[in-house]
Amino acid sequence: MSELWAMDAYALHEQFASGAISAEAIVKAHLDRIQAWDSTIGAFLFVDAEGALRRAREEDAWTLDERRRRPLSGVPVALKDNIVTRHMPTTAGSKILGAFLSPYDATVVDKLMDAGAILIGKTNLDEFAMGSSTEHSAFHPTRNPWDATRVPGGSSGGSAAAVAARMVPVALGSDTGGSIRQPASYCGVVGMKPTYGRVSRYGLIAFASSLDQIGPMTRSLRDSRLVYGVIHGSDPHDSTSLTNVAEPIPSQEQRWRIGLPREFFGDGMDDGVRRVIDQALESLQGLGHELVEISLPHTDYAIAAYYLIAPAEASSNLSRYDGVRYGMRASGGDLLNMYETTRDEGFGDEVKRRVLLGTHALSAGYYDAYYLTAQKVRTRIREDFDQAFQTVDYIVTPTTPDTAFVLGARSDDPIKMYLGDIFTVTANLAGIPGLSMPAGLAAGLPVGLQWLAPPLFDAALLDAAETLERVLQPMPWPEEVKA
Amino acid sequence: MDLSDADILHVARLARLHLTPDELGPVRADLNRVLAYVSQLQKLDLEGVRPTMHVVETHAPLREDRPEPSLGIAEATKNGPVVENGMFLVPRIMEGGASGE
Repeated sequence: MSELWAMDAYALHEQFASGAISAEAIVKAHLDRIQAWDSTIGAFLFVDAEGALRRAREEDAWTLDERRRRPLSGVPVALKDNIVTRHMPTTAGSKILGAFLSPYDATVVDKLMDAGAILIGKTNLDEFAMGSSTEHSAFHPTRNPWDATRVPGGSSGGSAAAVAARMVPVALGSDTGGSIRQPASYCGVVGMKPTYGRVSRYGLIAFASSLDQIGPMTRSLRDSRLVYGVIHGSDPHDSTSLTNVAEPIPSQEQRWRIGLPREFFGDGMDDGVRRVIDQALESLQGLGHELVEISLPHTDYAIAAYYLIAPAEASSNLSRYDGVRYGMRASGGDLLNMYETTRDEGFGDEVKRRVLLGTHALSAGYYDAYYLTAQKVRTRIREDFDQAFQTVDYIVTPTTPDTAFVLGARSDDPIKMYLGDIFTVTANLAGIPGLSMPAGLAAGLPVGLQWLAPPLFDAALLDAAETLERVLQPMPWPEEVKA
Repeated sequence: MDLSDADILHVARLARLHLTPDELGPVRADLNRVLAYVSQLQKLDLEGVRPTMHVVETHAPLREDRPEPSLGIAEATKNGPVVENGMFLVPRIMEGGASGE
């Protein structure tokens, strides 16, 4: 039997449910991995070793039948630290939350616990999920397990790195403009952003409420399906969660029409990425699928629309951090002064930049020119997808134009950092599901392939990607390649 | 049109952010770069296009007006930086009376 930390969640659960291994042994193996690797990687902000071991011993007392009934029993899971938990601190990667301990668990946390998952810790992120590198964490940057001089991507960089480095088989991330898919691509793991409204946002610290969505980050498609199966569903605590969804019936054709948007395959793509993606596309053709060039003409405008809408929503969502009800309070003078000093000391530069941008975009005299215009462009982007999905079953693209960049390489140029999101933001603006799966290595760094599907085709999307996973070379892990 | 220092300070006040003189220059440069970038949206003809505020047609779901379990006062206020008698204390906002700090 291979090392416990090398197994995916599916295999761990099967072994545990059959009585072959104990949950305590599983948790210990992963805690040892964290102990050995996280001083180099910095994926975690908090590790609850004691709580995880306690829970594991409780599960070891379960009968085999009780274990089987809970699809994630025996499986250690990490949470991006913008998902609130009662028994672990939540920081959102920011100083402003101070010693915040949530009085309630997020709905996804309740669902994971009901399914038998063992929560092992909270992972690093760009402050309030604003960033693409995890360098904007108020605590420390996270490093890419494939090359510690490089970023893991972001904002769910801690979750991606923890899964890639085999410190945990499953982590949850959140995706507002690509924050699950881009780090999944950079770290060589699977990351899925479900259709907007599929997964409850209750207990997800809000960044841009009309775009945010929680999703799984795993090392296999079957694990993503397993975790997605557990966490999705309507929630009375989230008025935007979908209720009474008629599940779409995917095409029963064995051969799909797969759209390749020409706007995504133009200049600016790294040669190594192009080679890996071309090989994956050949594999899809080898499976009998038809590749069709399509156009999503408003792609070029997506970043501009996103960087108005997301900061506008963020400026409103982050107004709650005022030093009154939770988090830190800076001392000083009258109420207004207290607000301003608290927010000045508590927020990092990127958060301030976006709050200012969003406030400006919503302010009197600018609302129509910026915010409303961006929302109209969003309609155009949706229409592009609606039209494309009339003729194709799925869309396939690279997840990012490049592989993981070196720490600090984009720090002084916000636009350059923002443009890295070009292939991922449109799915959030349109609300459609997307996932990134590892397609291979370019110069020793992982390359992600992105799948996009029509709204609600989440399960079909996982199945489709899995057919490709079966024919691709299995993804190694960083140590194997370096050894 | 570029934002001036005065514009930035106005927006900062709206956002309840205190900017030090050191921060002002870099913030102005960054914001103006982003605004110049997003101005490309003005090129599009968006006449008659309905804005997408939300991809899900949102409405406020209603439920029966019946009390449901909720957090107690101690639990709900446990993260407050300054709490007294189950209330959040803030600096004085009007003249007279005792100060909160």
